[in-house]
Amino acid sequence: MWLKFKASTIKELLLLMRDRAGLAMLFLMPMLLIFIMSLLQESTLKKLEERHTPVLIVNFDNDSLGINIVNGLRSAGFFEIHELIDGKQPSLEELKKLVNYGKYRVGIIVKEGASEALRNQIRCEIQQMFPAEEGDLFSPPPDPDKPYPEIDIYFDPITQPTFKHAVSSALNEFTYAVEAKMIMGIYAQMLNDIVGIEINRSGNFKNMINLNEQYAGNRKKIIVPNAVQHNVPAWTIFAMFFIVIPLAGNIIKERESGMSLRLRTMPGSNLAVIFGKANVYFMVGILQAVFMLLIGVFVLPMVGMPALELGSSILALLLVTISISLAASGYGILIGTISTSQEQSSIFGSISVVILAAIGGIWIPTFMMSEKMNIVSKLSPLNWGLDAYYDIFLRNADVSDILIYILPLFLFALSCILASWLYNRYKTSN
Amino acid sequence: MEKASIIDIKHLTKCYKNADEAAVKDLTLSVNKGDIFGLLGPNGAGKTTTISILCNQISADEGEVMIEGHDLNSESDLIKKIIGVVPQDIALYPKLTAYENLKFFGNMYGLRGKVLKERITSSVSDFGLEKKLHSKVGTFSGGMKRRINLIAGILHKPNILFLDEPTVGIDVQSKNVIIEHLQQLNASEGTTIVYTSHLMEEAERFCTHIAIIDMGKVVTVGEPSALIKAYPGCSNLEDIFLLLTGRSLRD
Repeated sequence: MWLKFKASTIKELLLLMRDRAGLAMLFLMPMLLIFIMSLLQESTLKKLEERHTPVLIVNFDNDSLGINIVNGLRSAGFFEIHELIDGKQPSLEELKKLVNYGKYRVGIIVKEGASEALRNQIRCEIQQMFPAEEGDLFSPPPDPDKPYPEIDIYFDPITQPTFKHAVSSALNEFTYAVEAKMIMGIYAQMLNDIVGIEINRSGNFKNMINLNEQYAGNRKKIIVPNAVQHNVPAWTIFAMFFIVIPLAGNIIKERESGMSLRLRTMPGSNLAVIFGKANVYFMVGILQAVFMLLIGVFVLPMVGMPALELGSSILALLLVTISISLAASGYGILIGTISTSQEQSSIFGSISVVILAAIGGIWIPTFMMSEKMNIVSKLSPLNWGLDAYYDIFLRNADVSDILIYILPLFLFALSCILASWLYNRYKTSN
Repeated sequence: MEKASIIDIKHLTKCYKNADEAAVKDLTLSVNKGDIFGLLGPNGAGKTTTISILCNQISADEGEVMIEGHDLNSESDLIKKIIGVVPQDIALYPKLTAYENLKFFGNMYGLRGKVLKERITSSVSDFGLEKKLHSKVGTFSGGMKRRINLIAGILHKPNILFLDEPTVGIDVQSKNVIIEHLQQLNASEGTTIVYTSHLMEEAERFCTHIAIIDMGKVVTVGEPSALIKAYPGCSNLEDIFLLLTGRSLRD
């Protein structure tokens, strides 16, 4: 049994090493995919971060509200603030046109007299808080019929609702701050008038509640998911499952050439030969994973992308990689067993892997999918592997945490091998 | 002195799924130890099905097969050790060298190390392929591939050798080398050879016994010379073959 297994492994290794095109497909294809997809998604994610989102502001107010909005957006760090076009302040029509054509993602117009209108409204509110017999608190008295201050925001038509919401929230934050500062200033002025104490009205009113943002997990250093941390494990798993095509093709080639019939006439279990064959592809899967992960750690940073951090449990990483490779090998054996021709196996093998990859979150991460698709994604073994890698890389999972992914992957591999064996028995007896 | 039988087939029947008729019907046959036994018949007669059952490639629906006293159904692994199979297809890996192919098949039969190396070297030399030992089989001519295909089936020195059309599609020189070597193997090692062929002249020259089967049944069996005498008007095996199986096309 051992000799058959060893001989089959050596034979398969020699055949694979002499198949340069096959080897290129197994190693270069995923490497290219990792590079291309990481670069593409990295730039997309950078756009989404809005670090360089161009915003055109026309400040007709030129008073505290307009100045605070401009300074606030500038200091937020997410926006690229523009106030002049060709050295001139643009008109409303020009602003709308430029935003509509996508040159600026957002256009903000702070209308003339907005700060004064805000002061008037605050004074009206304060005046109403006091009994009428107190008379006018302010001189000149505020005008309750004067319109509220207005800020117009124009969005590029392709802007996503989430981004719109983020910009509106930021503006609200700055206007509330200005409001608060003005209210305190007016009260300070009133106190000064009543008690004659000089109060510093230029106090810096910051948000007094600190929001401590942290990632749940026991890692000291917080890892933020990025394009590399999605794409490297995702395309590694995809590549590992792509061995289904050469493995299944190899099984069929042996069947078509009469080799498998010949092997069946030889003593000992034929499973040793199949396992020897699968063993090589299993090892290829492991090598692919090592190779791709090393690219993520060492090569991608050289082209300006973040380095892949492998988490702290190498044992967990190894076990997940082994179980993914086993699942892929088992699936390859099943496809090779049930397919009747090489054409059928390559079409069915590749399409099924692409579908399993698509629903499994390889192309589009599951957190970007709908709730229904998230449920469907759990049917894909590629998703089990990807979730396990995510847990190791992002949540610092150890072996006990990833057992829920490893066990299904092992069971999947076993089920595929068992189904192949039963199918073979059925075919031989007929 | 009568030879002891080494293969006993009784009432063998095999019907493939979705087939209208059985490929082998109630076939009963014996092969004696040391025979070169030719299994002859037109296309679709049931030769390959019979040999495939004997080699454990497919299972029979009914019947009993004993090989060297072992039951084919219950002792197949024992039988696999004492038989050698040379399929009609060139079942070799074209991207491996002749040596790598033969080493793989030797290992499959449990051979290893020095013994295996010596057997490969001497067999390859016997078949005139020593210079090609480390060349890839994919670069070989049809005759050279057939010879390697044969060596792969005899490396473990089987007691019984099954050959399915071993000389099909090759030149006269390669055919002669194969036939001569098989006769030598039969004479020196006492290997029983069961062989299928369409080539009546070759079978007449090569076989000690033949069976003509048609429609899944044995229509005649015996020594070629005795059969020629037994059928008046027939001067060779081809005449007997046509007499018993008819002249109409079968496929």
